[in-house]
Amino acid sequence: MTNKSEMDTYFGERKGETPLGMVVGGSLSSGLLVKLDSRLSIERLAVGRYVVIQGKSGRKFFGLVTDIALDATNPDLVRQPPAPDDAFAAEVYSRQVAYGMLSVSPMLMLDPEDDQPRPNKTVPAHFAPVHEASAEDVERVFGAEDEKHLFLGTPLDMEAVHVNLDLDRFVERSSGVFGKSGTGKSFLTRILLAGIIRAGRASALIFDMHNDYGWAVKEEGGHEVKGLRQLFPGGQVSVVTLDEDTSRSRGSKVDRVLKIGTQQIEPEDVEMLSGLLGLSDVQTGALPFLRRRLGPGWIDRLLSDTPDDELEKMVEDERIVSSTLGAIQRKFEFFRRMGFLVPGAGDDAVDDIFRRLNQGSSVVLEFGRYGNTLAAYILVANYLTRRVHERYVRKMNEAVGKKADEPRPLVIVIEEAHKFLDPAVAGHTVFGNIARELRKYNVTLLIVDQRPSGIDDEVMSQIGTRVTCLLDNEADIRAVFSGVSGAGALREVLARLDTRQQALILGHAVPMPVVVRTRDYDEAFYQWLGATDDAGERKQRAKRGSEALFGE
Amino acid sequence: MTSDDKAIGRVTRCSTRGFVGAVRLPEPEWPVFGTFCRAEAQQGHSQVIGLIYDLSIEDDELARQLAATESLSPEQLADSQVNRQVPVEYRALAVGYRHGERFVQSLPPQPPLTLAPIHRLSDADVRKFTAQLDFLKLVIAVQEIPVDDLLAAALQTAAAARPESERRAYLVEAAAECARLVGRDLTRLESLVRSLRP
Ligand SMILES: Nc1ncnc2c1ncn2[C@@H]1O[C@H](COP(=O)(O)OP(=O)(O)OP(=O)(O)O)[C@@H](O)[C@H]1O
Ligand SMILES: [Mg+2]
Repeated sequence: MTNKSEMDTYFGERKGETPLGMVVGGSLSSGLLVKLDSRLSIERLAVGRYVVIQGKSGRKFFGLVTDIALDATNPDLVRQPPAPDDAFAAEVYSRQVAYGMLSVSPMLMLDPEDDQPRPNKTVPAHFAPVHEASAEDVERVFGAEDEKHLFLGTPLDMEAVHVNLDLDRFVERSSGVFGKSGTGKSFLTRILLAGIIRAGRASALIFDMHNDYGWAVKEEGGHEVKGLRQLFPGGQVSVVTLDEDTSRSRGSKVDRVLKIGTQQIEPEDVEMLSGLLGLSDVQTGALPFLRRRLGPGWIDRLLSDTPDDELEKMVEDERIVSSTLGAIQRKFEFFRRMGFLVPGAGDDAVDDIFRRLNQGSSVVLEFGRYGNTLAAYILVANYLTRRVHERYVRKMNEAVGKKADEPRPLVIVIEEAHKFLDPAVAGHTVFGNIARELRKYNVTLLIVDQRPSGIDDEVMSQIGTRVTCLLDNEADIRAVFSGVSGAGALREVLARLDTRQQALILGHAVPMPVVVRTRDYDEAFYQWLGATDDAGERKQRAKRGSEALFGE
Repeated sequence: MTSDDKAIGRVTRCSTRGFVGAVRLPEPEWPVFGTFCRAEAQQGHSQVIGLIYDLSIEDDELARQLAATESLSPEQLADSQVNRQVPVEYRALAVGYRHGERFVQSLPPQPPLTLAPIHRLSDADVRKFTAQLDFLKLVIAVQEIPVDDLLAAALQTAAAARPESERRAYLVEAAAECARLVGRDLTRLESLVRSLRP
């Protein structure tokens, strides 16, 4: 892209078009100040829009409008405005004395000889003209949609432009989807996962707390949308359930029922629950000892109603205080209520799940009714993740550099992530480790959370790509931007998102921060995924409906 | 406005900053405050454009006599005020010059010639000259004359020389230029803008 006309097509030919205004100040770190042309209405602008700035040297800059302000050449104007009914004066003042200012965060720059914009390292000179970016400009920046680029949404006011996410980069590091309740996190995550699965870039292990991912998801409006298992009927997605009854009654296809043998549970699996089960430090500290003394059947023995000589002896020998033991036994009663826990050695579920993942099938783990029990969610997520991760580490080490033998990249999806990654536990849980070790073992996290401030700072700073719906809590907003340079300016943008289906995407998988209206998760999306035309299925459903109605 | 051709006096004193003109005219024909006028300079190569800002009436023998008259009849008074050729002196601020067909809005290179005839600028020339607003800063820079009143009068004159449909836009533009020049003093700007309201 060396010749001039090509460059003009890159960021649009600007001749004869009135600029929005011109650069009058600012800095690389704090953003540029752009004085708005008095002929333009400030009301037409919006934060989150893009601008192209024509540098003096031929370099072009791409920036994001992060704030819009009213300013005046004379600061006294706020105290001495023209009379309210004086339209003439108002018009005169707004030509000269009063004007609009834009804060623009410079994001990318493009030299005449470059063919791709690069991150910004300087600012345009004084008085450089600033234009609104055209659809073509934005399109160029976000690249074309292809095998490894997922169309995630459209920039505000640019319905025709696709913002495409680099999927390889997205799964390369841990990423996050944030936003307060009801802003569209689960819908967005489903789109992301569908994109990843379709592109075959990685397998996903999804801890599906609220039955949002596998099958027939209830939308807020009441009607159902398809789950991943329906969208990928060809084996790319397996549903593993903890609660067969609920899954079946929802009509979900189930590929496997997960039962965990009590003998498979280790003290480390219980440790994360200590807060939720109310285990004191002393009690938690006693677990490894009990496991060692009682053997693999330790939980069964602790829960057993028949007297246990060895336990009694331990108390007698003062190896454990009787009240501590009693408290542990009482608190372990929780395990009895978990129907997916079965006494005994359990089965090969972990191996099976690992095999599925490694063969390219993503696994949706449905919690069914246990999704309402946070302790069950944390227990199972932690239990499975620890073991799957272990296998990944082993396989990765065995591959010693031979790419072909490496395990297939894995994305582990957890909701309510702050429960796993809060500063008190993140240091020593498998999730904290995965976030920190980056992609060393081809495993990364996709965390979905409405309270990012609850997540350990160090973990947060490792999150490569952040997709953020509306957040209104100050601390949460701060957390989402931790470790992001020039974040101050983006806060305004984030705080102004719509309450639903809009998101700010920043980080590793996009060339620059971008606000999108998330694409619709609808029939068109299903079709794009290549999900078979569901005329047949609709007929089926109609038939089922009439059967139910008429009892045929 | 009266016809372009008829002179409204001759230059009696001058500098590059402006000139003084004098004339004997009956009251209805006196030039008014804020009138644009022109006087030849540089042996006719250029014309200085002036903006009239100060009119004074010399006292003369007859006026003094009449004033001393015990009882002035209304007829006498009217005759003297309206019909009598009174010596009028006025000052004009140089706000530009004309070189050939071109108007330049800066101080003229030379003052007009003494006794050069002074003419009103025709409406067409007022429009042409005031299409640029650079002369405003020449006016504002002057001390010790009622600058703001002069600006208002001049710009209203310039607006009046334009078709009705263009007047408001012109005044907005002119007032905005004033705002740029005196925007630091909002009280001043406020009254200036008020006096420019169409
Ligand atoms: N991309 C989308 N396409 C269609 N509808 C959407 C989309 N995003 C959000 N919605 C609508 O917004 C509603 C809420 O979205 P979602 O359930 O994903 O929110 P959430 O952030 O996961 O909420 P919670 O924190 O309560 O789980 C959905 O039921 C749906 O109606
Ligand atoms: Mg959700």
